[in-house]
Amino acid sequence: VRVRRPARLTTLGARLLRMRSALPSRGPENLQRPPLGPASRLGIPRPAMTAHSFALPVIIFTTFWGLIGIAGPWFVPKGPNRGVIITMLVATAVCCYLFWLIAILAQLNPLFGPQLKNETIWYVRFLWE
Amino acid sequence: MGSMFRSEEVALVQLFLPTAAAYTCVSRLGELGLVEFRDLNASVSAFQRRFVVDVRRCEELEKTFTFLQEEVQRAGLVLPPPEGRLPAPPPRDLLRIQEETERLAQELRDVRGNQQALRVQLHQLQLHAAVLGQGHSPQLAATHTYGASERTPLLQAPGGPHQDLRVNFVAGAVEPHKAPALERLLWRACRGFLIASFRELERPLEHPVTGEPATWMTFLISYWGEQIGQKIRKITDCFHCHIFPFLEQEEARRAALQQQSQELQEVLGETERFLSQVLGRVQQLLPPAQVQVRKMKAVYLALNQCSMSTTHKCLIAETWCAARDLPALQEALRDSSMEEGVSAVAHRIPSRDMPPTLIRTNRFTASFQGIVDAYGVGRYQEVNPAPYTIVTFPFLFAVMFGDVGHGLLMFLFALAMVLAENRPAMKAAQNEIWQTFFGGRYLLLLMGLFSVYTGFIYNECFSRASSIFPSGWSVAAMANQSGWSDAFLAQHTMLTLDPNVTGVFLGPYPFGIDPIWSLAANHLSFLNSFKMKMSVILGVVHMAFGVVLGVFNHMHFGQRHRLLLETLPELTFLLGLFGYLVFLVIYKWLRVSATNAASAPSILIHFINMFLFSHSPTNRPLYPRQEVVQAMLVVLALAMVPVLLLGTPLHLLHRHRRRRRRPTGRKEDKAGLLGLPDASVNCWGSDEEKAGGLEDEQEAEEPTVNVQVESFHRRTQPVHRHCSQETCLSSIPRRSLGPLAVGHRQPLTQFLSL
Repeated sequence: VRVRRPARLTTLGARLLRMRSALPSRGPENLQRPPLGPASRLGIPRPAMTAHSFALPVIIFTTFWGLIGIAGPWFVPKGPNRGVIITMLVATAVCCYLFWLIAILAQLNPLFGPQLKNETIWYVRFLWE
Repeated sequence: MGSMFRSEEVALVQLFLPTAAAYTCVSRLGELGLVEFRDLNASVSAFQRRFVVDVRRCEELEKTFTFLQEEVQRAGLVLPPPEGRLPAPPPRDLLRIQEETERLAQELRDVRGNQQALRVQLHQLQLHAAVLGQGHSPQLAATHTYGASERTPLLQAPGGPHQDLRVNFVAGAVEPHKAPALERLLWRACRGFLIASFRELERPLEHPVTGEPATWMTFLISYWGEQIGQKIRKITDCFHCHIFPFLEQEEARRAALQQQSQELQEVLGETERFLSQVLGRVQQLLPPAQVQVRKMKAVYLALNQCSMSTTHKCLIAETWCAARDLPALQEALRDSSMEEGVSAVAHRIPSRDMPPTLIRTNRFTASFQGIVDAYGVGRYQEVNPAPYTIVTFPFLFAVMFGDVGHGLLMFLFALAMVLAENRPAMKAAQNEIWQTFFGGRYLLLLMGLFSVYTGFIYNECFSRASSIFPSGWSVAAMANQSGWSDAFLAQHTMLTLDPNVTGVFLGPYPFGIDPIWSLAANHLSFLNSFKMKMSVILGVVHMAFGVVLGVFNHMHFGQRHRLLLETLPELTFLLGLFGYLVFLVIYKWLRVSATNAASAPSILIHFINMFLFSHSPTNRPLYPRQEVVQAMLVVLALAMVPVLLLGTPLHLLHRHRRRRRRPTGRKEDKAGLLGLPDASVNCWGSDEEKAGGLEDEQEAEEPTVNVQVESFHRRTQPVHRHCSQETCLSSIPRRSLGPLAVGHRQPLTQFLSL
């Protein structure tokens, strides 16, 4: 059983490289094309299990909230409420970005996995994959 | 609207109002809403002030208004709200208003009295007619058939002189619930020497005063004997019955009664028409008059707070006015006093007291400023936490609420209120609960919006998770690699996915919490840990922000020593202990993985040991030399505590002592600074809250103890302010964020699992 190395935050490039190398190489062949369950014949769309990168969401969301919090204030029209609007933009960006960041960091290196009922396991195994 | 960063500059303005124009000037100022009057006659009781007569007149008028309003409401009519601009009327108009109101009130009283009397009369007539109309025929028939023997006694009395044995009648009406009691009493008291018949009226009659319908019982009592008659009358008096004269020739009587009651009803109709006319006039006159008299009373109360100048030619008023509004104030005074041909003057005077806090808000920011003010109104020119509260308050609510579906409902409800806010129906609603919601519509809007966002992060829509992206946990990989055949699954009800196994954990969910956790039985273990750590991080960030905001206060009030003696120690304490905790949390998230999950270090144990300076051998360190670092941080933080408590007082004491050692220099300065003899008429408030900038100009005669006490007061007040700022910014203790966020989901999950 191969073990994953923990994800780390260093420079962006090194991070990307390490992400790619740290990801499992998809394990045994049967995971590449999971065996189709009985539901596939019914044409029900199934979400496939895919590897999630860490770098891409970080880049996307940092850019998004950075645009709102840092670039946004420059575009607020002059008026009596300019100060309040800029404060609101920056505070929103900081709060929402921090909240999302905490959520993704908490799931980066899980120490334990979900405990599922046997029915759920059977269902998920044959319907989701 | 100026910036809400800190409250506006407010100046003490002295107004000189010539007596002729004082009323108009104050009325004009009241309409503009520019100033706040200071009470210069605080030592004088309310009954000894100058304009007490006028105030009393206004109050009497208001009493009459109340009476009129009650009458209007009794008639079931509604007073229309006053419209248009209604300034306070000049004093000579008060007489006219008074006369009109008095006349209306008197008319109303008369008409009401007449109406009452007429209705009582009508009621009597109706009863009489009903009593006569009732066919107590068997009795009468019985008396008629005997004809001549009517006058003969029905019983042959054994002898002895008898009273007049003619049959007499008593006819009347009694209230239905008293009828049986009356009947019984009559029977027992008169021992059978009477025949009483009771009959109920067909239709109910209205009670004249209360208007309730009541069905009366009419009775006809035939008796013989004078004494019996007296007894009967006494008994019926007792029972408050209405007695009417009874004659056999009814027809003429009844016709007369009919005519009388018809006339009476016509008169009653006329009276009621006149009454509604009067009420209509009251409806027209009352609302504007109420507003005008209230304004007039307010003007006189304000004038009562002014003091008279020595020449008795003008009134001196002291008011607080925003510095920005000074030109407008002077223009208003000029305009209103020009009409009288005199001129009123306003000029700014220095003051030692702390001016009031003025923050201009619009309808959006007003509700948030209200929340902040509920915790405590900030000092003059202190940094205002409200603009940050606009976002942090709804955000912290959303962290606890966190549901896409419910958040969306809240958002749509608030949006509906906001879009319809200018409709008159919204403002006129009387329901208090609705007014509460309507007043907080912008708050609800933001709370709903943030709740949708946090709902996406928590992955909860009506407490159900959704897979926007595919999950990062692969059950098939675990099943295949651990040999979970169907038989194995049938034997074991609960199985755990192990992130150590290759291919089971494929990466963190990019936006929010992975949907697999909603299917897991141990989801609380994960979510609790996540939410507790999240609360700690958010709380520490907020508190650090609050401390940093304090820097602006210290710079503005020129108290730079507080930067070194308060802000720095506070930041060191906060970040050294709780900032370090945040660091531990994030470090563990990044560095500790499932490879050695069994021996994963516990942050809680590390944190406890940090304070107790102890060591747990089973808990491995997170990084090398962790204990040394922690010991240093704790010592540093504890060393900051005496600096926080004693730093500022000692510094001020030192400065005070230094000033006292140079007394000669200071005296000249003092004379030059306070050259105007006590500019303010009412200046020596013993306020503890003097603006920090005036510190250097204080009298040097204070005893040492006073300085200590004062600086300690000033020390605790900023702590108060800090607490209030922090509690404003993180208005819920951060520990409770987690359980509240978890608790949202439980009820629906329970419900769905039923």
